[in-house]
Parts: sequence; C-alpha cells; structure tokens
Amino acid sequence: MNKAQRNRPVLVGLFVLIGLIFLIGGILMVGNLHETFKKKITVVSLFDDVSGLQTGNNVWFSGVKIGVVSNLHFYGKSQVEVSMKVETKAQQYIRKDAKVKISTDGLIGNKILIIYGGTSRHQEIQEGDTLEVEKTFSSDDMINTLQENNKNLLAITTDFKAISKKLAAGEGTVGKLLNDNSVYDNINAATASLQNASVKAQQLAGSLALFSSGLNKKGTLANALITDTVVFNSVKASVLQLQKIADTAALFVTNLKDAGCNPNSAIGVLLHDKEAGAHLKETIKNLESSSKKLDEDLEAAQHNFLLRGFFKKKAQAAKDSLPEK
Amino acid sequence: MKQFHPVTKVKGFATKQSVRLSEKTMAKTAIANNFLTDLADVLLFITQFVRETFSRNSEVKEFFRQCFQIGYKSLPLVSITGTIMGLVLTIQSRPVLIKFGAVTMLPGMVAVSLIREMGPVITALICAGKIGSGMGAELGSMKVTEQIDAMEVSSTNPMKFLVVTRVWAAIIMVPILILYADAFGILGSWAGANIKGDVSFVLFFSQAFGSVRFMDLLPAVTKSFFFGAVIGFVGCYKGYNAGRGTESVGIAANSAVVLASLLVIIVDMIAVQITDMLI
Amino acid sequence: MENQEQHIINKGESVIAIKRLYKSFEDLHVLKGIDFNVFKGENVAVLGKSGSGKSVLIKIIVGLLKPDKGEVVVLGKDIDKLEGKELDALRLRIGFSFQSSALYDSMSVYENLAFPLTMNFKHLGKKEVDAAVMEALDAVGLTDKVRQMPSDLSGGQRKRTGIARTLILNPEIMLYDEPTSGLDPVTSSEINELINEVQKRYNTSSVIITHDLTCAKATGNRIAMLIDGKFLKIGTFNEVFDTKDEQVTKFYNYNFIQ
Repeated sequence: MNKAQRNRPVLVGLFVLIGLIFLIGGILMVGNLHETFKKKITVVSLFDDVSGLQTGNNVWFSGVKIGVVSNLHFYGKSQVEVSMKVETKAQQYIRKDAKVKISTDGLIGNKILIIYGGTSRHQEIQEGDTLEVEKTFSSDDMINTLQENNKNLLAITTDFKAISKKLAAGEGTVGKLLNDNSVYDNINAATASLQNASVKAQQLAGSLALFSSGLNKKGTLANALITDTVVFNSVKASVLQLQKIADTAALFVTNLKDAGCNPNSAIGVLLHDKEAGAHLKETIKNLESSSKKLDEDLEAAQHNFLLRGFFKKKAQAAKDSLPEK
Repeated sequence: MKQFHPVTKVKGFATKQSVRLSEKTMAKTAIANNFLTDLADVLLFITQFVRETFSRNSEVKEFFRQCFQIGYKSLPLVSITGTIMGLVLTIQSRPVLIKFGAVTMLPGMVAVSLIREMGPVITALICAGKIGSGMGAELGSMKVTEQIDAMEVSSTNPMKFLVVTRVWAAIIMVPILILYADAFGILGSWAGANIKGDVSFVLFFSQAFGSVRFMDLLPAVTKSFFFGAVIGFVGCYKGYNAGRGTESVGIAANSAVVLASLLVIIVDMIAVQITDMLI
Repeated sequence: MENQEQHIINKGESVIAIKRLYKSFEDLHVLKGIDFNVFKGENVAVLGKSGSGKSVLIKIIVGLLKPDKGEVVVLGKDIDKLEGKELDALRLRIGFSFQSSALYDSMSVYENLAFPLTMNFKHLGKKEVDAAVMEALDAVGLTDKVRQMPSDLSGGQRKRTGIARTLILNPEIMLYDEPTSGLDPVTSSEINELINEVQKRYNTSSVIITHDLTCAKATGNRIAMLIDGKFLKIGTFNEVFDTKDEQVTKFYNYNFIQ
C-alpha cells in the first residue's frame, strides 16, 4: 500500500464532511428556517384591504425585518385579520400605539407589513395585541379626492364671483366696501388665486387620471415611469399653489377679524349685512377645510409607492427643461 | 424472440445472472439485443443489486476506493463547472433584471435556480460523462479481458465487489458533488455580480439565501440521489454487459454516457412533476 | 483441499466426468454430445480449431456456462445443480487460467494474487497472505515482480502471474485456456514446462485447451481432438495422430510445417 492509498479514506472523509457542512449550512441559512429557532410573539391587525399581502411576507419595523405574516383570514363583514409573528428581541421597541401599514419591498417586490410610530408613553406590545391600521390611500382614492376637491374649488370660486359682482354693483351697505381699498384688493387677489388654483387642480386631476389609466394597462409600467415627470410637476405645482391659497386665505381672515373689531370701517358694515356676511363666512370655512384636505391628500401621495418614483426623479427633472403643460 | 431466456431463467439468479451474461456475450448480438430481453436483463440486474446489497460481508474497502474515485476525483471538474455556471448565469441575467429595476433580486434568483435545477442537472450530466463513461469503460474492459469471469471463478461475487460498491458510491457521492457545485455556483455568481457591480460578500449571501426556501432545497437533494443511482446503474450495467472484443468497451462507455444523460433529464422531469404536485 | 495423495495416474478415479454434453448458442451448435473423463493426476490437452468450442467446454466445467443437455460432474459434484456457497466452495478447488490472463488492471501483482485469498478467507492475517503470495510467485518464478502493475509485465509474465493467482488457492484441478496463445516459441515452451511443474508440485489434474500442437504434446498425458463439436479421438499423442483421418492430419501438418 502506498501513501496515496493510505490517505484515501481520510480524503474521502474530508470530502464528505465538507459536503455535509454545505448541506447543513445551506439548510440553516435557507430562507426563514433559522428563524424558527427564535422566540416570537404573535400580534394581529385588522385591515379593510390587504392589497395582496400573503402569508410569509416580511414584517418591518424602522426598516429592519423583525418577523413574518403568519396568517390571514376574514373577519367580520369584509375585513381581514392579519396575524404576524414578531421576534421578541424587537418587542421592547414596539409600543402599543404603534401603527401598521402595507407597503412594497422595492418597485415590483413583495408586499411588506410595516410597523411604525408608537410613543414611549405606552407600554411595549404583548402576545395577542392588536395594532391599529392607518388608512392608506390607493391611487384611485387619491384621484377621486382630488377631483372632489377640484369641484369644491370651483364652487368657492363661483361664490367669490357672486360676492364680487354684488360688491361691484355696490348694492346696499355692501357698496361701502368699495371705498375700503385694502379689503377690496384682498378679495380680488383671493379670487384670482382661487381661479388659478382651480385651473391647476383640474390639470392635476387630468394628469393623474391619464396616469392611472396607463397603469391599469399591462406592461406599460416603464412608459408610465418615463412620462411621470409631467405628473410629478403638476402635483408639485399644485402643492405650491394651494399653499399660496391657504396663505392668502389666512391673511384674508386676519384682515376680516381686524375689520370686524372696527364697526366704522367698510368691512364692519359688510359684516352687518347678514346675507353677505354668511356667504363670506361659509366661503372662508370651505377654503380652510379644502386646503387642509388637499394637504393631506398630497402627503398621502408622497407615501404611495406608485408616486414614489416621481420624487426620486425630482433632481433629474429639475435639471431637464420642464415639459410643457 | 423465439428464445426468451431471461424469464425462463429467473429462478436463482444469484449465480445465473453471470452465467446468462456470459452466454449472452457468446450469442449473436442481433438476437441478444432484443428490447424485451434487455428490459428483463435490467430488472435482473437491479434485483441482484438489491440482493447483494443486503447480503453479508460488504466490500467496505472497495466501496471507499470507489467513493474516492467517483467523489474526490470528480471534485475539480465539478467545482470548475459549478463556478462557471454561477458566473455565467449571473452575467446573463443581470441586464434583464436591470431593465426591470430588480437587480437586487439577482442573488436570490441565481441561488434559487442553481439550487433547484441548474446545480443538480448540470452536475449530474457532468457526472454522467465522467463517472458513467469511467464505469462503462472500466467494467467493459474487465468484461472483455475476462477479469469478471476470473472473479467469478475465484468465488468472488463480481456483482457484489464491482457493481454494488460502485452504484452505492455513486448514489452517495453524486449528491455531495451537487452540493459542492451549488456552493461553488453561488461563489461564482458572487464573482459575476462583482465584475459589473459591487456587492459585498455578506450582503450577496444574505440576499441569496434569503430567497431560498427549505422546499427548494429538499426536492433538489432528494432527486440528486436518484441522479446518482441512474448514473451508477447505467454505467455498471453497460460495462457489465459489454460484448466481446475491444470495440465493445468503447461502445459500452459511449452508450453509458448517452443513456445516463438521457435518464438524468427524464428523472429530472419526473422529479419536477412530483414536486409540483406535492407543493 | 489439502489432498496430499501419491502422484499416480489412477484410471479409476475421475475428477471430471462429462456425459453426452450438448451446448448451443441460439442457432449455433457448439458441443454435440461430448463424453469426456479426466482422471486424477493427469494432464489432458484438448486440441481444436478456433471456435470449435474448446473454451465453451472448460467454461461449462467451471460453471461459467450452463450445459443445454448432459451431465458434468466435477470432483464428485454435478456442477449444473450447484448454487451459491456450494458452487463457490467447489470453484475454490478449481484453478482457471484465462487466455488473456485476466489480471486485475487496477491492482499490483501482489494485490492480484492476494485478492482470491483475502476475498475468500477474510480471517487471514497479513503475514499468512504474504507467505502464500510469495510461495505462489516462487512456483511461477516471478518473486521479483511482486510490486509491479500488470501493465508493466510482458505477455509471458502475465500468463505466469495468472497461473500463480490460481495456484494460491491450492487447486485440485487446473484449467488452462490457451496458455501459449500470443507468446513466442521460447516463452511458450517455458509455460509448457511450468504447466508440468505445477502438475508435480501441486498434484493437480489439468485440462489444457490449445490449438498449439507443441503445447499439447509437451503437456498432455492424453490428447483429445475436438472437431465439429465432438471428440474425434482421445488418447496419447501418438495414438491420436497415427491416423489417416484428413481432419487430424491437416491439423498436424499445419502446426508442424509452421
């Protein structure tokens, strides 16, 4: 027997051993298998719509994977109860007032469940706790809201037109208002702004409708992403415009309040004209609520995954010449 | 077909198998190579393999020698193939994934396709080439130069000494070689990902194994045992049944490779169907 | 196995007894009714043309082939009816030297010789195996080649090694399949001497299959002429060839003219 032959069993043994290490290492590293050894607690959430979330999808907290969705089943009329297993090591950081939402890992990746928020005033979550779900807007929801907003804005503008007509006609006590230049200017500016905003919002709604119809067609994702700078710019311009409206409206309200304190001024007279006063109050209320709502919508849009791409391309769009509206 | 030997001679094949093979070698090949008699031969061969496997006094030393030959000696070939497989797969699929903006899915995709399909099948085909032809040629030349007869007459069961050890060595070594190929394939894929891009080793591996599920690994490992069995059986059967004359050694080696490769693909198809049904 | 009887040609005790043996492969009738006896201690040379069924005959004797018809009794046992362990036990008493020597290519000369021993007698220690290997190699005069691989050996040395491998089990019957085929005349005569030496040293009865008349004459106590699947004549060399039968004279002339 020569040396090579004597070493043979050793080499074979070594060969098999390393092979088995690959196998066992592979099994332990594979997927979520090694996580089965970690201790976990189960928490639940109630969703109206899980948008394709599946058992086994990951659960993130502060961007770190801390567990998986373990079960999905219907609850009540049409709600879905989602059970998730969360590692105990993350338990202390998640508070009872933390919220849950569904998002996407990457552009076309798997759905993920995101736990966020929570304050240290509340206790940490325990086995079986229910986490609140924040209502998220789907793109359809968002477009519907924007369109409704647009209608509101048109209504407001109509109101203002009516007021300004009356004011121009100088009917009754309201005619005195014409002499107060500052108030007149303010109302004039507000009217112009709102008309402008209405036009912009109409454009926005149009762009978004176009964009969403494009999305519904299969295989046009890439197209949508290329043309998205147009949509993005519309959204951005609208935000600025509507902020302006809000500013103007706030100033207007302040002026009115100041004027209200002084009954001798023209505006004081205006406020005592019951009909016109009620009109104006309603208008201002509408204006405030609608601008607030629009703010919310646009913030929701920022979190919506489909529009996330627009914001990413913000820098690039800024460099390029702005596409014509 | 007028004389249908195998069926009539089924009784007591422990000794008669070798007798029949000798007779077949002497007979005219045209008559001996009948499909049905071949089929019966294969059944006899497998039956005797099972019998001898469970008989006493196993040939441990020869088994280890074969493990060395089949496993250890194939390692360089399999690891080179595996590495290149992973490398090429990565480089080829990268542009497509970039187009979809899903380049982060590359390690997972490559790992899953390597472990589920590419690793087992390509390694098995490589082994069919190396091990199958080796067995076919070695046993074929032993048959032609009467070494198998010599064992038989010195009261050593050649089926047990030559075939059982080789087939079992193949059944155990081929899956291990496939594991090596998978491991080297993922390593090669990491290298491929780093030619164009820049991914850290740890990130690549956590992404790769993040998308592999246990049910990807289990059917792959299971079917690789069958690949080993197919390669071992075909190689030994073809060698053991080589005809007379030196050219039959070449024929045995060649047909061992062809048949083993074909059967590997067929077994793979069946395995995929079964896996698909079960999961 | 260790039957150390006197070396006498005892016509009464036959170690191989064949009666009305028939064998055919598909349509080819090779052996057509053979009656044949080998007595203890004698060498029988079976002469015949290539393809006349000589090899088939000794393969039937050792149980590698099955007879179609007839009776083959070897060392008192009907080999056709033996199976498994009984057949193995009988085969250990028969040595078979193959035409191609059939040395195991992957093993050295030592391992080739040790193989039948270690496979059949697992309890043997290394020293006993060593001793047996050296004794068998000594019998064929190749003690210096013990570490060589078969591929390093010449044709004659391979034949000798093949014979040594069968001798290691102390057989009672030796079967030689074409022991001189492919060898030069000098080496052939050395092999012939070896066959005779083995007969004396190991007290074997032998069947030598050959188409080489020199070999048959040198080694055979009796010669059997196999023509057309039948033994035409069995007897001493002179008895067989003292004939006018054309088939025999042709054979004789061809061999000696060459």
